[in-house]
Amino acid sequence: MSNKVAIIASNGGLFDAYKVFNIATAAAASDKEVAIFFTFEGLNLIHKQGMHALSMPAGTEHFAEGFAKANVPAIPQLVEMAQELGVKFIACQMTMDVMGLTTDDFVAGIEVGGAVTFLEFAKDAAPSLTF
Amino acid sequence: MSIKADFQLDAKGLSCPMPIVKTKKAMADLVDGQILEVLATDKGSRADIAAWAETVGHRYIGTTEEDAVLKHYIRKCENDTIVEKAFEPTIELVEVVGKNGLILDVREEVEFAFGHIDGALSIPLGDLEARISELDKEQEIYVICRTGKRSDFVAQRLVANGFAKVYNVLPGMTAWTGELIKTI
Repeated sequence: MSNKVAIIASNGGLFDAYKVFNIATAAAASDKEVAIFFTFEGLNLIHKQGMHALSMPAGTEHFAEGFAKANVPAIPQLVEMAQELGVKFIACQMTMDVMGLTTDDFVAGIEVGGAVTFLEFAKDAAPSLTF
Repeated sequence: MSIKADFQLDAKGLSCPMPIVKTKKAMADLVDGQILEVLATDKGSRADIAAWAETVGHRYIGTTEEDAVLKHYIRKCENDTIVEKAFEPTIELVEVVGKNGLILDVREEVEFAFGHIDGALSIPLGDLEARISELDKEQEIYVICRTGKRSDFVAQRLVANGFAKVYNVLPGMTAWTGELIKTI
């Protein structure tokens, strides 16, 4: 049985962030080795400012109340927890170049890599997930 | 009934995945065989805690619910699969039923409460020294736990204390298919 979980985060909304970080922290808490490859809009999720103001899909703003009521942790809190549990963050170099971003724009402790960096990790991971 | 746990974790009001994350962290402070009680209001935690324990190799004992608060019980298992059964004689679980002797269940109180053999006496391993006087040296005693590991240890302690008619029940409650008495 594989002890790795590989996740691609390619979307940058609040819902996307919860899908990514909930699965990632749950997997890490279950003693899995977890890596998330952040690419395109997915980079939002670990962007120092961006992750504090992730948007919800149009027409779903009323869920904000539900999030508060369910006492769902804030995304920055989940990011910190994921890192504390050893989840590896890999930011996509190519997207960063396109968007003019540098390592300093992101939370500390990330790695920057290309597609092969992620593929190398994911080659024997199960499950591999894309959000 | 109230149940004795070694550690308690309050995860009330927290939503997925926090109860699991907190449980994982709390578990690090327990030693092998200790019981963690997790209080949670996240309804999904019932299935999640059981699945988590299964994944990482701890023993999920059960869950109770009281006033919308779930109480999950997990026993920490470092190496539950490595069982050295040194004590002789042993007795097969199926042979114990209907005998005149005493079935002595040495699992933790909470494990006993979630299901035991009718008529069994509960003395958790850790309480043995203090409660050994409750046992009759002339009676046949069938010591049982979950897999045969703790019962092996207790059987040896009993013989060292002058008990002559002691048997270690193998394989233990994991193989019990008969009626389970619950006191919770």
